Amino acid sequence: MRDISMILKSVRNSLFLFTAISVLAVSTVSAQDAKEGRTLFKAKCSSCHALDAKLIGPALTGVSDRHPEAFLLKWIPNSQGLVASGDPAAVKLYNENGKIAMTSFPELDEGKVKSILAYIKEGEPKPVAAAGGAAPVQDDTVSGLSIAGIIGIILVAIVILVILARAGKLLERLILQKQGIETEDDMPLSVGVRKMFRNKKFVLFFVLCIAIALGSWGWMGMWNTGVHTGYQPVQPIKFSHELHAGINQIDCQYCHNGAFKSKNATIPSLNVCMNCHKAVQARDKYDGQISPEIQKIYNALGYDPETQKYDPNQQKPMEWVRVHNLPDFAYFNHSQHVVVAADAIRKAKGLQPNEPVCYACHGPVNTMEEIYQYSPLTMKWCINCHKETDISGQKDNAFYTKVIEAHEKIKKGEKITPALLGGLECGKCHY
Amino acid sequence: MESNKKYWKGLEEYKNTPDFVENSKNEFAEPLPIEDVLNEAGLSTVTPRRDFLKALGFGLGAVTLAACQTAPIHKSIPYLIKPEEVTPGIPNYYTSSYNGQSILVKTREGRPIKIEVNPNAGAFNRGTDARTQASVLDLYDVSKLRSPVLKNEETTWAKVDAFVKQALTSAQSSGKKIAIVSSTINSPSTKAVIADFIVKYPAAKLVQYDAVSYTGIIQANKNSFGKAVLPKYNFDKADFILSFGADFLGTWINGESFISQYTSNRNYKSLENKKMSRHIQFESGMSVTGTNADTRVPIKLSEEGPALIALYNAITGQSLAGGTLGSNAMADKVIKLAAKELTQSKGKGLVVCGSNDVSTQILVNAINVAIGSYGSTIDLDNPCNLFGGNDAEFAELIAEMNRGEVGAVLFLNSNPVYDSIDTKKFTDALAKVPSKISFSDRSDETASLCDAIAIDHNYLESWGDASAYEGTISIVQPTINPVFNSRQAEESLLTWADAPEKSYYKYVRSAWEAKVLPSLSLTWEDVLEKGIVNLPAKTAVAYNFSLALDSVTTTILNNSKALNKDIQVQLYESIGIRDGKHGNNAFMQELPDPVTKVTWDNYVALSHKTAESLKVSEFDVVNVKGSNGYSIDLPVLIQPGQAQGTASIAVGYGRTKAGKAGNSVGQNAYPLASFVNGTLQYAGTVTITATGGHHELAQTQTHHSIEGRNIIREASFKDYLKNPAAGTGNSEEKKKEYAENDLWPDYVKLGNNWVMAIDLNACTGCGACVVACNVENNVPVVGRDEVRRRREMHWIRIDRYYSYDDNGKEVTKERQIDHLENFDNVSVVYQPMLCQHCDHAPCETVCPVLATVHSSDGLNHMAYNRCVGTRYCANNCPYKVRRFNWFNYWNDSRFDNYLNNEFTQLVLNPDVTTRSRGVMEKCSMCIQRIQAGKLKAKIEKRPLKDGDITMACQQACPANAIIFGDSNDPKSEVSIALKSERIYYVLEEINVKPGIGYMTKIRNIDTTIQAAEA
Repeated sequence: MRDISMILKSVRNSLFLFTAISVLAVSTVSAQDAKEGRTLFKAKCSSCHALDAKLIGPALTGVSDRHPEAFLLKWIPNSQGLVASGDPAAVKLYNENGKIAMTSFPELDEGKVKSILAYIKEGEPKPVAAAGGAAPVQDDTVSGLSIAGIIGIILVAIVILVILARAGKLLERLILQKQGIETEDDMPLSVGVRKMFRNKKFVLFFVLCIAIALGSWGWMGMWNTGVHTGYQPVQPIKFSHELHAGINQIDCQYCHNGAFKSKNATIPSLNVCMNCHKAVQARDKYDGQISPEIQKIYNALGYDPETQKYDPNQQKPMEWVRVHNLPDFAYFNHSQHVVVAADAIRKAKGLQPNEPVCYACHGPVNTMEEIYQYSPLTMKWCINCHKETDISGQKDNAFYTKVIEAHEKIKKGEKITPALLGGLECGKCHY
Repeated sequence: MESNKKYWKGLEEYKNTPDFVENSKNEFAEPLPIEDVLNEAGLSTVTPRRDFLKALGFGLGAVTLAACQTAPIHKSIPYLIKPEEVTPGIPNYYTSSYNGQSILVKTREGRPIKIEVNPNAGAFNRGTDARTQASVLDLYDVSKLRSPVLKNEETTWAKVDAFVKQALTSAQSSGKKIAIVSSTINSPSTKAVIADFIVKYPAAKLVQYDAVSYTGIIQANKNSFGKAVLPKYNFDKADFILSFGADFLGTWINGESFISQYTSNRNYKSLENKKMSRHIQFESGMSVTGTNADTRVPIKLSEEGPALIALYNAITGQSLAGGTLGSNAMADKVIKLAAKELTQSKGKGLVVCGSNDVSTQILVNAINVAIGSYGSTIDLDNPCNLFGGNDAEFAELIAEMNRGEVGAVLFLNSNPVYDSIDTKKFTDALAKVPSKISFSDRSDETASLCDAIAIDHNYLESWGDASAYEGTISIVQPTINPVFNSRQAEESLLTWADAPEKSYYKYVRSAWEAKVLPSLSLTWEDVLEKGIVNLPAKTAVAYNFSLALDSVTTTILNNSKALNKDIQVQLYESIGIRDGKHGNNAFMQELPDPVTKVTWDNYVALSHKTAESLKVSEFDVVNVKGSNGYSIDLPVLIQPGQAQGTASIAVGYGRTKAGKAGNSVGQNAYPLASFVNGTLQYAGTVTITATGGHHELAQTQTHHSIEGRNIIREASFKDYLKNPAAGTGNSEEKKKEYAENDLWPDYVKLGNNWVMAIDLNACTGCGACVVACNVENNVPVVGRDEVRRRREMHWIRIDRYYSYDDNGKEVTKERQIDHLENFDNVSVVYQPMLCQHCDHAPCETVCPVLATVHSSDGLNHMAYNRCVGTRYCANNCPYKVRRFNWFNYWNDSRFDNYLNNEFTQLVLNPDVTTRSRGVMEKCSMCIQRIQAGKLKAKIEKRPLKDGDITMACQQACPANAIIFGDSNDPKSEVSIALKSERIYYVLEEINVKPGIGYMTKIRNIDTTIQAAEA
C-alpha cells in the first residue's frame, strides 16, 4: 500500500514539474525580455510604482491596455517633456495623478521600455518551487529536540546491545548444552544486580561515577547560570536578518547607525525602515496584499499606504525584545570596538575581508532568520578577548603610538594586548 | 616652616566634648547591633538540629528557585521617527541661559541631564554656581502641576484663555488696574512682550520686586548720579576690597561671576606673579565672603553705619558726625588702616556694602568716588540687570489692592504670599482683587490663592533671552519638549493680548533678527551656537558726586540707634536655598552651608557669648520675636565669628507649598524684615527666648575627626614672598624619610597618570563642585535624618576649618582655653576633600574581595558589583571619603522627596551606574569622562591633549581652584601646578602617596592689622 501511494506521489510531482516546464518553454520568447524588464523595473520604477498597488504613482498592471504602446514609449523616458509639449493624453494623465512629475529616464531606449512593458504584462514570475509542492524546509540548527533524539538513540542502542548480549549468551549456552557441557543455572537478572552491588569496589566506583556526573553537571549548570547564548526571543515583527543582511546585502550600519559612533549600536527607528518599505511591500508574496509584517511598521507609524499619509495620533511604539543584555553595571561601547579596534578584532576572530566586523561577536547575522545571541556575553568571554587580541597594529593610531611605545620598552617582544594597556581593570567597564 | 596653628572643624572638636570623642572613634555613626544580637538570642543559644536543617533546606530551595528564573524580558524601544541630530548614547549640547548666565545644557536622548559652562560666556563666567548645577532637577520635579488650573481644577488652555481674557477685559472696562507682579525681568524679549500686553490693556502695569531686594543701591545711584541702576562691579580690577556685610562671593548680586573676578587676583597664577589682592570684611554673621577675607572684623549691625562714616572721614579728611566706633576698638583700628590703603591704591580699591538702605549706599558711593572706583572697579555705564525691583512700587501696589483699585493681578515668577514681609497683609489685599492669575509651575503659596494657574515652562523647555549686564545678551533655547501641558508665560501673555504673533519662538527670533543681529552681522543660527553676544561696551562717563552728606548721616545714625537694642538680627540668603524660589530642589537642600555645614534647615546663628547670656546652648529651640510681633521657633547654632549681640537667620526656608522636598523645611524669616524709608531692611531687632525644645541640626562638619593632624597648611603673603614654600612643611629630609619607609614598591605608570591639584587660596567654599558632582555621578540625596546619622553621600565635600592665628606662638592648652572665651576672631580655611586616589591606597589592601583596586593610570577603581559591603575600606581610609549605601535610595519610600519616582529618575546620567544598597562608593575621578575623552581621541586618531578631559567639579568651579590632568604630560596644566612650591600632600607622612596635591592657603594680612587683632 505504502509503495503505491509513494509512486502516486512522485508521479504527481513529475506531472507538475512537467507542466511547469512546458509553460515556461512556451513563454521563453517573451521571458527573456520580461527578465530584463524585471531588473529594470526594480532598479528604475519600483521606488514609485508597484504592479498591483498605487504607490506614489499608479499601479501598472494592465498599463498596456490603458494606453497605446507608442504613447508609453514616449511617456516613460521623458514624461515631463511630453506634458510640456502639450500632448493632450499626457496632460490628462499628469492631471489625473495629482500633478506629480515623474522622473525622466533618458537612458531607457525603446528596447528597454519594451522589456519593462513586457515584464508588466507578464507580471511577477511565479516561483517554480511552489509548483513542486511543499518543499521541506531544512532546519540545520541544533535544537533541543535533536539533542534529545540523539540521547534517545543512544539509550535505544544500549537496550539493543543488552538484549543482543543476552541473546548471544543464551545461544552460547544452548550450543554448550548441545555439546554436553553443563553450565551453571542461569541466574535471574535481579540476583546478578544484587550480587554486583555486594561488591564494594563496584559500589564505590558506581557512587564515584554518579558523584562526578552530578557534580560536573551542577558545576557546568552554575557556570552557565545567566548565560543566554542562543537566546532568541519572539520579536513583535518577524524581522529576518538573513533576508536583509544576507540576501539583500544591506550594510549593518544602514540600520544600526550608532555602532560606529556611539556606545549603542541602536535599533533603527521606523523611519529608517520606511526608506525602503514605503515601496517594498512584498505584495507578490501575499496575493497582492501588503505583507502582514510590513503592515506592522505601517501600523506603528500610523501610515496609510493608500493615502501615503502619517497619522501621529495612531502612532505607537515598537516594543522589540532586547536580545543582547549586558548588566547595567557593565559599560560597553560599540564604537571603541568596531571603529578603534576593528582591525585587531578582525584578525583575532579570523573574519573574511567581506564580512563586517560585527560578526566577531554577533555571529553570522547574515544567516540568522531571526536574531539570536551568538556569544555568551560573560565577563570571562570579554576578558579572554582582551587578553588574547594582539593590538600592536594600533600603533598607527596616534592615540596609541606613545602608550604602546612606552610598554614596548619594558615588555620587549611580548604580545601587546588590551590587557597590557589596562583593559582588564575593573574601572574600565564598571563605573 | 610648618604651620603651628590648631585647626578645628567645630566647637565640639575644639572643646573635645565627651560625645565628640566617643563619636569620632567610629567611622559609622551607628554600629550594627551585633552585640545586642549576640547577647539576646545570638550565638549564646543553641540552634536545634531541626532548625538548622529547616534553614538549610529553605536556603537550598530558595537558591534553586531563584536560579530557575529565566532572564527577564528587556524591552528595547527605538524612536518611531528619530530626530536627525540624536544618536542614542551620544550627548548633545545646547546653549541656554539660567539667571542671566550663558550655559551649555547637556542632553542625552532628548533629556537634559547636566548644566555645563558655555565657553563663549566670557572670562569671568568660567564656572557655574551650585544652584545652576542643581537647576536641572527642577525640570523633573514631580510636585509640578501637569496642566493649567482654573478655580482649583485642572482644565484646558482654551478655558483658561477664555477666563483670563474675560477677566482682563472686565478689569480694563471697569477702570481698574491690571498689575503684572514679577521678580526682576532681565530678558529683553519678555519686556517687549509685556510692553505689547500693556498696549492691548493700557490699564496694565509691571511691578517688579525682588524677595531679596537691591533697591537701596539702585535708589542711591539715582540720588548720587541720576542713574537708577545696579552697577557692574569689577572685583578683578580691585587690589583692595573692603566689604561691609556684602556677601559678594556668595549670594550678593552675581556671586559666581564675582568669584571668578576675585580669585583671578588670588589664585596660583596670580601668586606666581607675586600679586595678591587684599580683602577686608566687616560683618556680623559669618558669611562665605567673610571666611575668605584676609581680615574679617565682626561688627554689630548697628556699627555698620558709624564704621562707614568713620571710613569716609578717614579717607576724605572730613569730619561727619557719628564716625566713632566707641567700644569696638579693633574695628576702629582696621578702618583707619583700610582708609590708608584705599587712599594709596587710588582707582584700584572697591568698597561694597550689603545694606539695602539708600542713605548707607549713598555714603558708600561717596567713599567710592573719593577713592576713584568709578570707571575702574565700578562701571555704571554697563549696569547689571539681574536685580531691578522697586520695593516702594510693590508696597504701593499692596495699598492699591487694598483700596480695591486693582481689577486683575498676574504673578510672573513671583510668590509674594510667601516672600513678602507681611503675608497676612498681602493675602488680605489679594482677596480684594477680583481676578488673580499665576504663572507658577506649581500650586505654590500665591498660586493656590489664584483663580487660574497658567503653568509656565521650565527654563529648559523655553525660548527666550537674557541680559545679565547691559550689552551682553544670551539666548534661552528649549532642550526638551514640554513635559507637561504647560505653556510659556510669554506665549500666554501674547495670546491674551491677541498679538498677531502668538508663537514666542517666532517673536524672540524676529526681535533678534530685527534689533540685534544686523549690527553684529550674525545669523540666528550663529546665536544659537554661541549662546551669547556682546554688544560694544559703552565707554565710561565721568560721574560727579555733589550730594551733601549731612542728612544722609543723620538717617544712618538714626537707623543705627534703632538697631541698638535687644538682639540685632541679620536676615541673609543661604548659598543653597537663596530666596526660596527653588526650595523644592533636593540637591540644594542637602548642599551643606559652606560655613555652618547645616543641611535641610535654617537656624539662629548666635555667638558663644550671646548664647550664654541668653542661657541657651546649641540645638536648643528658641522663640525669635521680631519688633513687628512676628515670631518663629528655630534651633540655635553656635557660630564662631558671629558678632556678639547679633543673630543671623536665613530667609528662603519655611515654604509650605513648595513640594515634597521643600515643604516644612525650617521657618519663614521674611516677615522679620521691615519696610523703612522706602526700602526693605534685612537688619532688625528681635528678642530671643528659650522654648525648652531641642532640634538637632543635620550638620556634616563634625562627622569626621582630624585627630589633631596637620592637614591644613597656610602662610601669610609676606612669608610667601620671602619663601614660596612657606607653610607647606615640605623638606628634603622628610621626603627622604618617607621614601625610605615606604612599604610598597613603586609602580611605573606608562600611559596616563591622572592627578589633581587644588588651590586652597582660590577655593571660596561655594559648593558648586559638590552639586556638579551629585548631578554628574548620580549621587543620591539622603535627607535630614540620614545626614544626622552621618550618612550623607557626597563624593566631594568642602571641609571648613576654623583656626586662630597665634602669631607663631606654640599652641598650648592654656592658650586654647583662653580662646574658648572669645570665638569672634577666627579665621577659616576651606579644603575640598575627595578621594585622593592614593598610589598606595590603604583601602585597597583591606578589601577582602578586591572590589577596590588600582588602575595603571593612577586611579583607585571601585567595582560596585564586586563589593560585599564589609566597609573595611571606609574604616581604613585616612581621608574619610568613602560613602556607604545604607539604602536603595532610588527605590525606597523613605526617600520620596528625591528620586523615588520614575519621572525624577530621568535626571540620572546614563553613563554612571546607580549603586544599590550595601555597596561602598566614592569619587571615581569622573572615570566616565576620562573614558569618553580617551575614546574621542582614539576615534579621531590623535594623542590625548591636556584639557580634553575635565572633571565635573573642575568644570563647575568658578574659581578654577581644581586642576585635573595627566602628570605624565610635563606640559599639562596640572603638571605645572604640581611643581608649584606651595604644593603639599595631605597626610603625606603616612606615605599613601595621594594623587591630589593641595596648594597652601595664603593670607594677605596687613601686619599692623594682625597686631590689632592680637
